[in-house]
Amino acid sequence: MTAHDLAAPARTAADSTGSVWRLVAAREIRVKLRDRNFLVSTALMLVLVMAVLGIQFAFSGHTSTKKIAVQGPAATAVVTSASSMAQAADAKLKLVPVPANSPANVEAEVISGKADAGLLRAGDGWRLVSKSDRDAQLATYLGQAVQEDAVRRNAAAAGTSLPALQRGAHLPYGLLQPNGHDVKAARIGGVVFGMLFYLAALLFGMAIANSVVEEKQNRIVEIIAAAIPLRQLLIGKIVGNTVLAMAQVVLLALVGVGGLLVTGNSSLLGQLAGGIGWFVPFFLVGFLALAALWAVVGALATRSEDVQSTSAPMTALVAIVFFGGIFVTGTAQAVLSFVPVFSTIAMPARVLTGHATWWEPLVSLVIALAGAHAILRVAERMYRRALLQTSRKLSLREAFTGRDAEQPSRG
Amino acid sequence: MLQVEQLTRCFGDALAVDEVSFEVPDGHLVGFVGGNGAGKTTIMRMIMGVLAQSSGSMRWEGQELTASDRRDFGYMPEERGLYPKQSIVEQLAYLAQLHGVSRPEARDRAHELLSRFSLAERAKDKLETLSLGNQQRVQIIAAVISRPTMLILDEPFSGLDPAAVDDMVVLLREFTAAGVPVLFSSHQLDLVERLCDRIVILARGRVVADGDAEQLRRSGTIRHRLVAGTDVGWVRDLDWLQAIDVSGNTAIVQLASEADTDRLLTEAMRRGSVRELAELVPSVADIYREVTR
Repeated sequence: MTAHDLAAPARTAADSTGSVWRLVAAREIRVKLRDRNFLVSTALMLVLVMAVLGIQFAFSGHTSTKKIAVQGPAATAVVTSASSMAQAADAKLKLVPVPANSPANVEAEVISGKADAGLLRAGDGWRLVSKSDRDAQLATYLGQAVQEDAVRRNAAAAGTSLPALQRGAHLPYGLLQPNGHDVKAARIGGVVFGMLFYLAALLFGMAIANSVVEEKQNRIVEIIAAAIPLRQLLIGKIVGNTVLAMAQVVLLALVGVGGLLVTGNSSLLGQLAGGIGWFVPFFLVGFLALAALWAVVGALATRSEDVQSTSAPMTALVAIVFFGGIFVTGTAQAVLSFVPVFSTIAMPARVLTGHATWWEPLVSLVIALAGAHAILRVAERMYRRALLQTSRKLSLREAFTGRDAEQPSRG
Repeated sequence: MLQVEQLTRCFGDALAVDEVSFEVPDGHLVGFVGGNGAGKTTIMRMIMGVLAQSSGSMRWEGQELTASDRRDFGYMPEERGLYPKQSIVEQLAYLAQLHGVSRPEARDRAHELLSRFSLAERAKDKLETLSLGNQQRVQIIAAVISRPTMLILDEPFSGLDPAAVDDMVVLLREFTAAGVPVLFSSHQLDLVERLCDRIVILARGRVVADGDAEQLRRSGTIRHRLVAGTDVGWVRDLDWLQAIDVSGNTAIVQLASEADTDRLLTEAMRRGSVRELAELVPSVADIYREVTR
């Protein structure tokens, strides 16, 4: 490189500072994707989601098969009928008759463990035996089958029929809104959304604050501030981290949705879809607003050790948003669902429980956008004031008013 | 050319920079000298726009200095540090990109400058794994990688070994040879005296001396040393000069004017032989002590 080359004009044709934030965002993402802590925590969250789904699948997702030792076609018929009753009741229980030659063999099968239970003749009726503990489900469905069988035979003996005897005894149980909301699932869905937002807001928020204070602490911010407008630096940081947070949440959501499909909970998925659809834009807007505030929190500190104390109001705010979103109900929840940031969790939760009419999330989202815009503007001003003030930790009030914000440097 | 005019900065009631004016002409290496708290860093931060001035102005090529002018400046802040945990070549390329250099070009320049400072094989290492001296070299590269139109360097030589100082001097000379003005601060007065085309001495926020090394030395008190063949005690009796130190046949005197040199020589020759009559020109370090006292 000759002297002339060294001092040649630095600019390329595509020189506009209006899009420098892209470079900043790209660096944020690149650095984060190489950060082992980030990769490990993402992997851990994925494992956690899969573990929860796996446990659920193991406990409730799958039908258990019980073998019943029987002697003779009558016993076989009772077991078969009990099995179809269980299936009709969606009990995830299947009963398989295991034929034996004699009552003694029935008992032997049960004792040896080849059968889970045995059905034996006892006088006019039946006797159910298990090895050492009773199975309530078996007792219920085999009991029903035995009862029905006995009533049918007694009815025939009395010259009437089973339907005649059972007339008026049946209690059907219907749903008035079969496509309505399962309140329990809706509440769980709300908690899961809240949790995702809480975790993302906390983990990525801390990451933003630390990335800001790192630049401030080692003074590279002075080099950057001389090279690009600080607004561009702030936008780049927020965009970079928001992209990462969204990517992480989408990844978790995909694994969760995939899990629901695999475990045969697709009907639940249908119910949650509307909530998930609304959660994504609310998450995005809410996260943007919080990200800007986290950047301010980082800028207030002078060393990374200070971030713990300057971020206290933010960790509190995020926790309040989370608990407010999942625990508040009724009118209070309806109000919260229109308050920017709080609406991130509260509104999708209301959509899930079916308490929100179609226009409500739209209006709330517009309000959230306006709120995020206002927060971004204020945050940018505070960030700019605090960022180049390197001699001591600032308070929120000082950053907001700009009073006494500058102290002498040492040189 | 950068012109600083009546630049003033207060912090509360304290006046950190008090109506400072000086120039950094194109192709000139200007040294900024002054004790801790003299205002050097504050002035440099105001030039770079990271600190607002209370009053006064700065002009670049005759026009008021703007943010877009500053974007083409290279800056090395007082307290060092880039991204400790990022690879060296990555962050250098990033900084060049922020100045509008394309990514491939930025990486090429980073590699080129790293090999120039004997750091080619460390290019992919994290910055924090380098010794402090080597981190300092990377910091210098960060200031010049965008091929700036002006260089503002706060203590660029501190922490460098002599070989690195020489590399740095060669690099700065390339910039000044191409017409780029360079302003740097330093505590190493001998270095400043040797290198600079112009020296600005600050004390308590004010410019107390400004000029090239020769002008500064001449501005100080010039004394003379007389060495004669015999005892020079008689010098004490002359009322038109000030005897600073007389011992045996050597005297250090301060003369009121150039003409008095001849007068002293005549006096001495009248009394015997003269071995030496020499001007004692102060060093920049002497001047510095004198003006900052």
